[in-house]
Amino acid sequence: MKPERNEPKILVANRDLVLPGQALAVGPIRPGDYVYVDKKGVLRSTKVGLADIREGEIRVVPLAGSYIPREGDLVVGTVSKVAGNTILVNINSAYPGVIIPPRGLRGRARAKYNLSPGDLVLAKVKAFDGVSSPLLSIEGEGLGKLVGGRVYMINPTRVPRVIGKRQSMLMLLKSKLGPEIIVGQNGVIWYNPKSLKHALLMEQVLAKIERESHVSGLSDRVLRLIESSGILDSQGSEAGEV
Amino acid sequence: MPLIVEKKPEVLITEDGIRTDGRGPLDLRPIKIQVGVLSRADGSAYLEWGGNRVLAAVYGPREVHPKHMALPDRALLRCRYNMAPFSTPERKRPGPDRRSVELSKVIREALLPSIFLERYPGTAIDVFVEILRSDAGTRVAGVTAASLALADAGIEMRGLVTAVAVGRVEDWVVVDPNHDEDQWGDADIPVAFLMEEKEITLLQLDGPMTQEQFDRALELASQAADLIYEVQKEALRRPYEAVRLEILRRGE
Repeated sequence: MKPERNEPKILVANRDLVLPGQALAVGPIRPGDYVYVDKKGVLRSTKVGLADIREGEIRVVPLAGSYIPREGDLVVGTVSKVAGNTILVNINSAYPGVIIPPRGLRGRARAKYNLSPGDLVLAKVKAFDGVSSPLLSIEGEGLGKLVGGRVYMINPTRVPRVIGKRQSMLMLLKSKLGPEIIVGQNGVIWYNPKSLKHALLMEQVLAKIERESHVSGLSDRVLRLIESSGILDSQGSEAGEV
Repeated sequence: MPLIVEKKPEVLITEDGIRTDGRGPLDLRPIKIQVGVLSRADGSAYLEWGGNRVLAAVYGPREVHPKHMALPDRALLRCRYNMAPFSTPERKRPGPDRRSVELSKVIREALLPSIFLERYPGTAIDVFVEILRSDAGTRVAGVTAASLALADAGIEMRGLVTAVAVGRVEDWVVVDPNHDEDQWGDADIPVAFLMEEKEITLLQLDGPMTQEQFDRALELASQAADLIYEVQKEALRRPYEAVRLEILRRGE
């Protein structure tokens, strides 16, 4: 008899909808995000999501869940409190963000930190240890207070779909609906529409992405929605306008 | 004196095992579940089980208030079981009472092993179980709905928890006791399982049973839980499947 090859047994197909506790695989394969190994060595999902099978790894792309900060994430938040030198920011997470202005800033560099409650800010997660409040930074080009525009809240698990592979979806949205779109990893999307029509279409598009993200062919459907809306020509300007 | 005086039925179970509502000893009452019914909550589920109507909502992980209750190494799981004043034949006095405090505790402990609390240190996960209409077995209905609400909230879990009650009526071991059997039966055992590995997370017993009856009761509970588990899984999948089918139908 041939010796049994030590191959993992995979129990789901790629992009299958999986539920918490569902067995995904047995054997030598690495558990990725949202996968755990039970006492008998079975790899199981911890969330509702889509199975993602790769070379030597199985993970779950979640379809539900809240935002947990990660270092390096770009987030959009609202200043909730300014207490002395620290600025607390609501970043749509169980962990409120903190901005601490560096010492020794003067002039314009310091003015950036003149924030008050209610201000919308774009910030980067500088440090997060998983327990205490994540430290945010607004040092850097484009970071800091966001003026004007609108905000749309989407489930944070859908953010990768709003951005798309190699930013394809985001580029599509920018080319059709105006270049001023910022997608926070925390599911807060800021955009500055050219008109109310653009704004309403943007809302429709984002709602569609949120609802249909688990079905493939999303970009095509989004493109069709934008085109069928009839308010834009291919250049992204108002139809009927010369 | 209440307007409606409930009386014990003359026969709770016939010689050939027909129960007051016409079920056989192994039959469950009909179960219907819908997930994601509350848009303001992070996760929710609505469950109809026989005459029970249960709404479960989950908020979290979120900031802990009061702050001193936060745990440094894991999430704080809080649970509230509450019966609506209109959920019983006679108006129930609103607010927590001895019974609902106990049920909050057992529901919390039934769900506890299923959640990876250590993935959310310093936060709170709040579970609310609201009984809109009660008809025996509300604690198991509450656990079953709450587990789905947790999954719907996207909280990392080892698996779903499914609960069911079994009881003894005279010499019969019956699955999913109804109101009459709950009231006048001889014993009642609510059981909750962490389904994938069939670990028991809740087991209570009131009323006497022989060892054989108890073993049989656990066996029947396990079988009944398998059936309920399928309904739970289907309910979790349904919203996503519906969108997929809708897109197919549109031909996109």
